[in-house]
Amino acid sequence: MSVDWKSQVKRLMARGADYADVRYYPKHEEDFKLMWNGNFLAFNRSEESGFGVRVLVGGAWGFAASSNMFSPEETFDRAFANASAASTKVKRPIRLADKDVLSGRFESPCAVDPFEVPMAEQIAMMRELDGYINQDGVMQRRVMLRTIRNTIHYYDSEGAEIEKHIVEIFPSIHVASFDETGMMQGRKYQPPRRGETRGWETMDRDHWKEQADRIVAEMRQSVEAPKCPEGRMSVILMPDMMFLQVHETIGHALELDRILGYELSFAGGSFVRLDDFGSLQYGSSKLNARADATLINSPGSFGFDDDGVAAQNRMLIENGILVGAITSRQMVTEANERAGRQIFDGSGGTCRACAFYRTPIERMTNINIDPGQDGTLEDIIRNTERGVILSGEKSWSIGSNREQFHFSTDIGWLVEDGERKGVVKNCAYSGMTLDFYRSLTAVGDESTWEVQYVDNCGKGAPGQIMHLGHGVPVCRFDHVKVGE
Amino acid sequence: MASHEIFSKLRTLREYALAQGARAHLEWKAEDSHLVRYANSTISLNTNEHLTILEVTVYGDHKSASTTLIVDENDLDTIKATIDKAIEMLAFATPLTYQPTLPSIEKTSVFEETYDPEVEALPNEDIIAFVNEATKGLETDDILLSGNFSSGVATYASISTETPEVVFSRKTDIGITLVLSSEKRKWEVNAEQFVSHKRDLDAKALHDRLSWLVELYTTLPEERLPEGPYRVVLGPAATAEYLSFLGWVGYSASTLKRGLSAFKEDDVGKKVLSEQFTLVEDPSMLATFPSPVDAFGRRREKRAIFDRGVLTGFLWSQQTADEFGGTATGHDVSNLSIALQGGDVDTTLIQDFACLPRDRDILYVPYLHYANIVNPTEGLVTGVSRFGALYLKRDGTITLPYNVRFTERLDQLFGDKLVWLSKELVPYGSSSSYFGRDPSTTLVPALACFDGVTVEISNESF
Repeated sequence: MSVDWKSQVKRLMARGADYADVRYYPKHEEDFKLMWNGNFLAFNRSEESGFGVRVLVGGAWGFAASSNMFSPEETFDRAFANASAASTKVKRPIRLADKDVLSGRFESPCAVDPFEVPMAEQIAMMRELDGYINQDGVMQRRVMLRTIRNTIHYYDSEGAEIEKHIVEIFPSIHVASFDETGMMQGRKYQPPRRGETRGWETMDRDHWKEQADRIVAEMRQSVEAPKCPEGRMSVILMPDMMFLQVHETIGHALELDRILGYELSFAGGSFVRLDDFGSLQYGSSKLNARADATLINSPGSFGFDDDGVAAQNRMLIENGILVGAITSRQMVTEANERAGRQIFDGSGGTCRACAFYRTPIERMTNINIDPGQDGTLEDIIRNTERGVILSGEKSWSIGSNREQFHFSTDIGWLVEDGERKGVVKNCAYSGMTLDFYRSLTAVGDESTWEVQYVDNCGKGAPGQIMHLGHGVPVCRFDHVKVGE
Repeated sequence: MASHEIFSKLRTLREYALAQGARAHLEWKAEDSHLVRYANSTISLNTNEHLTILEVTVYGDHKSASTTLIVDENDLDTIKATIDKAIEMLAFATPLTYQPTLPSIEKTSVFEETYDPEVEALPNEDIIAFVNEATKGLETDDILLSGNFSSGVATYASISTETPEVVFSRKTDIGITLVLSSEKRKWEVNAEQFVSHKRDLDAKALHDRLSWLVELYTTLPEERLPEGPYRVVLGPAATAEYLSFLGWVGYSASTLKRGLSAFKEDDVGKKVLSEQFTLVEDPSMLATFPSPVDAFGRRREKRAIFDRGVLTGFLWSQQTADEFGGTATGHDVSNLSIALQGGDVDTTLIQDFACLPRDRDILYVPYLHYANIVNPTEGLVTGVSRFGALYLKRDGTITLPYNVRFTERLDQLFGDKLVWLSKELVPYGSSSSYFGRDPSTTLVPALACFDGVTVEISNESF
């Protein structure tokens, strides 16, 4: 059924709305396949279609969404009524920052659309990956493949018209076995983004074989390894661990809605205050972090956000000093007003919703750490007196203001007097966020930099799961508390 | 959509699936959700979502494939195409090592005991008035209100090609979280409520807790606790959080068979937890938003999972039973109805407990934030306190501790470390998951006391 979305938006404006937008998803497709010990435990195709309407009345948001296309005006009216009701309790009326009104189109780069790849070929690829990890000593093995194809039409009352076509592919393999105490020792691999595309063509069999052999060998080593020693020491985080550290303690901490208290009812706040921008020593001078939604091959790049703002590349932390945040049109205006100074110059273009039935909020794009000047991984090891190299995120737990954290990893390697020693298992580390980043003493060069991704970042109420990326190098932190 | 319309639609779809020669299980899920969200003493968002979801699983010889559709419920052609798609996918599914069981529902069942039309029709004005009453006089220029008032209806119906019988349920729920926080000092306290019927809403209870905590947090000294072992009293949210992890690594046959369980088959029949620890799964407990009949049409019965500390057995889903050769225990439901039985302590409210004489210092932790399993086979869980912890000192004074991190083994926490439990049980839960409206609660003792819980990181401020 065809709906004149622009007319519906105009109708709400004529009723007295300050602003309105609509996102229409004609078809959101997602395939999820999970093969566990050779059996397909999940072999699922999902499709969604519907629309979400966001409207500002009297300085307050109302939102409504429906999968029912036969009476769309009811949903538009419900959003208006919700905003009107919300406007009865407004302390600071919402004002949206100015933006360039854009009409545009974004297509994620993809040479081979995974939804055009015959199912038989996808299954064959998964069985092949399963074969790679089906080796002696592997007691549990998983192969996962998640593919997404989505089209979004966006219209707002300021005149923006945007169409987005996004294709994603999220594959991974996982192996596990048990040590002499019955404790599981696992290892996994989800390939960092390489090349300049995001489609099926990124599935490189030779690369998978090589990585499968590596993780199986490392899992076997973990099974036989001694426990990681406890105490204060250096930790060298490999990119497949560093990305999660950045995600949890830089990314979430710098979402402006969290900083302003908009997530206190569930996800939490941030230790960062508005006074901190421009002065807080977030980390050592080696720390340079940015929100880069223009990184071409990452799921954190989307062309335009759901405020209709173009993707951007902005610094968050420069030489250790906090300079920016993850921002939307609403939050930058409020932050500048509350701070009594202009901290933010327009929206950073990070306002995204995970589905038509969720409202856009500040989400990470690609929250990256710039490569440093401390050489290769081997250079960093050579310059480390005592520490542990940590790889593979296993568990994560973070304080509600992102002020502290506890992570455990799949595997570790001891480093003593500049040399990599044996494998250790059951590695965990914890600390206070600022102390941790201030102890950053080495940042690897471009040879160590990888684009990792997160395809399950949870936030918001109602809850939303988002995809995003993290380009990170190998990093070393000193005097870190290591141990379960 | 009325129940008879859903029945009719499902039966039409069943006929369609049969006509295509399919052996299929069809699940219909619909939600009408309303969320009024508060932040910075403003209604920051007011949303409605109306969604209809159809899940189709098609079965073959040692094969299955599934499709999920969020779509207009009136668009029968698209819905039928979803069945076609599942059939098409089945052809590509590779053989499983086991034959998956297609549900065969023997008798139609309808469950609407937790449905209240007044909740479905709850208007904006009533919600706002309720929150105003629950927070009356507590907001200031510095103390700001955040929170969620989530209400709605979740409908579930399933049918299979084996029989024309239907499993149907319709549940309403209201989940309320109210947070008051200091913008300057950054402390935060909360109060929560989970009910199925409008008549059970209790603004006064929320107000009593919030006003008491705000009074403490604006008048008492704050403190950074030294790291080390403490006697800890947990509130319902924190206890329910630990129990949710126990549900994952403690008694799930799937977790057991995949090597991720903290308990093993040898532990069945043994006392592995405290004698005070009796955990039941009981679909007659309406406060848990139960499913008295599972997706396979099996009527569910109460059972103790841990009986005075003794592990009675593992819960087997049909899929796990098919794959590993066990017997399904009737737990193919989206949420179990779990209750930790109460103990012998009469005190229910922290407000009352804090006034009692005590022979040692006690740390009260109402809530654990972002807890996670460090090591499943060890049952090791880590998490950070949040929302109004109190340090109740032996001399009767109270201080306000900054948030702290615990990393504890579940078998020890619910084993030797368990000291006492309140008699009264209270529900703690949620209205929805990331995947849709699906109300559930766990019944937990209002207060639960543990010894020797180690603070391993102590924050330096709120």
